[in-house]
Amino acid sequence: MPPPAAPPKTPLPGVKHLIAIASGKGGVGKSTVAANLALALHMYGQRVGLMDADIYGPSVPIMFGLGMIDQTKTPFPVEKFGLKLMSMGFVVSADQAVIWRGPKVAQAVGAMLFQPPWGELDFLIVDLPPGTGDAQLTLSQSAPLTGAIIVTQPAEVSLIDARKGVKMFEEVRVPILGIIENMSYLGLPDGTRLHPLGQGGGAKLAAEIGVPFLGEIPIDAQVSQCGDAGEPIVRKFPDHPISKSYLMLAQAVVNEMLKQPTNAALPDVDL
Amino acid sequence: MTEPEVRPLALKREGDGLQIDWADGTRTHTPWRTLRSQCPCATCDDERKKPANPFRVLSDREVAAGPPTPVRMKAVGAYAYQIEWNDGHSTGIYTLDALRRLGSELLPASPDS
Repeated sequence: MPPPAAPPKTPLPGVKHLIAIASGKGGVGKSTVAANLALALHMYGQRVGLMDADIYGPSVPIMFGLGMIDQTKTPFPVEKFGLKLMSMGFVVSADQAVIWRGPKVAQAVGAMLFQPPWGELDFLIVDLPPGTGDAQLTLSQSAPLTGAIIVTQPAEVSLIDARKGVKMFEEVRVPILGIIENMSYLGLPDGTRLHPLGQGGGAKLAAEIGVPFLGEIPIDAQVSQCGDAGEPIVRKFPDHPISKSYLMLAQAVVNEMLKQPTNAALPDVDL
Repeated sequence: MTEPEVRPLALKREGDGLQIDWADGTRTHTPWRTLRSQCPCATCDDERKKPANPFRVLSDREVAAGPPTPVRMKAVGAYAYQIEWNDGHSTGIYTLDALRRLGSELLPASPDS
């Protein structure tokens, strides 16, 4: 057998792990999970970037207390709370709708991913929009994705769409690194738990597809309050139980990365 | 969980086709003509479903191009290759599964794979 061909030059050479946070379904909390997970990884001493790939509804600016950015004064990626950030929301006003067809979306996602000088990062987290469309395809076709983390809520109606997201990544051979179940339960002061959105869906999905169940994130009003106020809960209240859940998630992600290759690129063709 | 995926280790032009050495020890060869005629893009897929048109006039570029041969072949993500052909056609994305299926086996998979 001949030796394998030399690996091709990779885009984003300074990024060790490029991880997509995805879900087939909208409203499960991908952006909240992405922002808090990115900060939790940073708190573990990792060098982290967060790219907001939701062109139509970017969340990173509000979650980090930022608005439009004047690039002549603040270069991209923007640095905040120790992270490097990039978002459509930095170049488009929050009260302006982005009414674009697919090719422009693909172009914008590619530009935001490859044009900013990310530098040396241990993790570049990509917050994907819901669905299995242009942003997901652009990322899968042009970026050296280490893998995807699927966010779901416990309910079956969420799992149905999460499975579509899983299927998409399987088709394009992007490894599923694990499942995170968000809004898993509401913890009451007496220690009991309510499950208004169902129970066990995340673990069930993880078992179905044979990937790690990375953990549960409970419901807490402070999570959205912190997001709306521009400082994610992991940073604002690091001792909060939810923040501790994110720190455990970050540790699980770091441990999973120890098992993953950093470069799964296909070889060049010798014509 | 999905079956263990088959990954290419090396791809090169060999004679009139594409030779691929796969991670399971298999070596396959696919004539360029086969790859071109089985282009998976939506347009070609649609054309193949129609009855052959004997009155179709080849474009000047198609006539000048001669037998199909790739001008460029680049990886698409971790799952496919895109081929740019000498007749100007370039929209086909060939998944690894398709490349394996279209190849004729020169060397079988090794027993230990």
